[in-house]
Amino acid sequence: MAGIWIIAKMSLLENSRKQVFHVMCLLMLAVIAGSTLLTIFTDGVQTKILKDLCMTCLLFGGAAMAIALGATGVPNDIESRTIHPLLARPLTRVQYLIGKFLGTFITVSLGVAAMTVVFGALIMMYQHSIDSSLGLAVLFTLLEAAIIAAVAITISTFASPAITTVLTFMIYLAGTIKIGYIGELIEKSQAGLSKGLYLLIYHALPNLECFNLKSALVHQEIIPGLYLSQVAVYGICYIAFTLVVGASYFASREV
Amino acid sequence: MSHPIETENLRKVYKLGKRKGDRIAVDSLNIAVPEGAVFGFLGPNGAGKTTTIKMLLDFVHPTSGSATIFGNPTSAASSRRLIGYLPEQPYFHKFLRPIEVVSMHASLAGVPRKEVRQHSISALERSGIAEYSDTPIGKLSKGLTQRVGIAQAIVGDPKLLIMDEPTSGLDPIGRRHARDLILQLRDEGRTIFLSSHLLSEVESTCDIIAVLKRGKLVAMGKPDDVQAKGKQVTIQVDTLTDETKASLKFAKVGIEEEAGAIRLCVAPEMLYWVIRMLEKSGAKILRLQTERESLEEAFLRLAA
Repeated sequence: MAGIWIIAKMSLLENSRKQVFHVMCLLMLAVIAGSTLLTIFTDGVQTKILKDLCMTCLLFGGAAMAIALGATGVPNDIESRTIHPLLARPLTRVQYLIGKFLGTFITVSLGVAAMTVVFGALIMMYQHSIDSSLGLAVLFTLLEAAIIAAVAITISTFASPAITTVLTFMIYLAGTIKIGYIGELIEKSQAGLSKGLYLLIYHALPNLECFNLKSALVHQEIIPGLYLSQVAVYGICYIAFTLVVGASYFASREV
Repeated sequence: MSHPIETENLRKVYKLGKRKGDRIAVDSLNIAVPEGAVFGFLGPNGAGKTTTIKMLLDFVHPTSGSATIFGNPTSAASSRRLIGYLPEQPYFHKFLRPIEVVSMHASLAGVPRKEVRQHSISALERSGIAEYSDTPIGKLSKGLTQRVGIAQAIVGDPKLLIMDEPTSGLDPIGRRHARDLILQLRDEGRTIFLSSHLLSEVESTCDIIAVLKRGKLVAMGKPDDVQAKGKQVTIQVDTLTDETKASLKFAKVGIEEEAGAIRLCVAPEMLYWVIRMLEKSGAKILRLQTERESLEEAFLRLAA
C-alpha cells in the first residue's frame, strides 16, 4: 500500500507542475469567470445558464485533464526510462499502475476543486446561497473523470500517448453522447449476432451520461439516493475492472 | 548460502519478426556474484549486458533459464528489497527535485518515514550533489543528473548495487569520486555489479570480471586470471655488438634503440637462450621486466 501512495505522490507532484495542467485550469477558470458576462438574460435565467455553463466546464475540463494526464503518464515513464529505477525497487507493476491512477485522479481533483471554488463564488454572488446538489454534482463529475483516467491509463499500457488520447476521447464521446443511441439499437434489433454485438459495446463502454447531474443542479431537482448510490457503485466497479485489465497486461509487458 | 546474483542457463531471444528472425541477446549465461565483491560485467556494445541487467530486475522476461537475487527469483518483487539500481544515463521526472526523487526511493526502499529525509540528504552528500538538492532535475547537467542517479541507487542501504555505466557523463573529478564511492561501498560490505566500458575503471575497482561476447560468457575470474601473464619479457642492456644484434634479429627478438637505451622484447620461451647470448657477448643487463597483458588487451582478445 505504501508503494501505491509513493507513486501517487510522485505522479501528483509531476502532473501538478506540468504546463498542460496549468493551461487547462486557467482556460476553464477563464470560461467560468467569463460566464458572468451573460447579462442579456433576466436574473433567474442568467443563474441557470451560469450553472449550466459552469457545470459543462467542470465536466469537460475534468475529462480533458484526465485524458491529457492519464494518456501520457505511463508511456512517458517507459519512453524516458524513468520507470526503471522505480520498478527496480520492491514495487509491483500493479502498485505502480494504481499509484499512477491515483496521482492522476488527485491532480484532476485539484483542478476541478479550483474550478468549483470559482463556480461556487459566482453562484453565491448571483443566488446568495449554494445549492445543496452542487457538492453531489461535483463529486459525480470527479467520478466520471476517474473513469476516464482509468480508461486512459489502461489504454496507455499498450499504446502511445497520441493513440491513447484519441481512443480515450472517442470512448468519452461514445460514453457521453452515443450510449443512448446504442441502447436504442439494442431495443430495435432482433436477437442474434448484431444484438450481441450491440450489447457488448453497450456494456463495455462506460455510461458517462449517468454521472452528469447538471440538469438536476440547474433545475434544482431532487435526485433519489438509491440512484446515486447505484451510479457510484457502477463507477467504482468500472474503474476497478478497467484497472484490473490494464494491470493484467502491464504485469507481463516488457519495459 | 545464496549469492547476491546467480544465473543458470539464462537466455533471452528477441523475436524481430518473420523477415529478421530471432536475435539471441543472452545465451546460456551462468554467473554467480560473491557477496561483498565488485563484479565487473564487460562486453562490447550489443553483447547483452543491459539485457542481462534487465532480466535481473524483471524488466524483461528470460526466454529460458533462471536468475535469483539473494536466492529469490527475480520475478518476485521481494527480490528487489535489497537492491539499488543505477541505470545507464538515468532519467528522472524533470519537474522533480533531487531531494524529492531520492526521498521517494528511500521510502520505496522501506526506510522509516521519520528517517527518510536524513537518509536522503546523506545519500545526496555522498554523491556530491547536496548543494543542488532543491534544483529541478530538468535544470541539472548530465553529470549532475548522473550523481542524482547514484544517490537514488545508494539510498536505503542496499546490499546489492547494480550499476550500469556509473561514471557515464561525469567529469574526471566526478569519475574519481564515483570510483572512490564504489570502493567505499564495497568496504562497507555491499556487493556491486558493475557494467562498464571504461576498462581502467573496471581494472581499478573490480574484484571479479566477466566478459560477454554476443550474449555468451567468454571469460570470468579475477582480473589477474583473465589477463594473460608473461606475454613477453623486456630486457634493457647497455650495449650490443653487431654480431649479437644480427643473431638476435635472426632469432626474431625485437630490438628497440631509443636515446641510447637498448631494449629487447623477448618471448618467454626464448628468454634463457637470449640471456646466455648476452652473457657470452659481454653485454650488461640493466633491467629485466615481465610485460603483462593489459585489461584492454585482454578485452580485445576476448571480445573483439
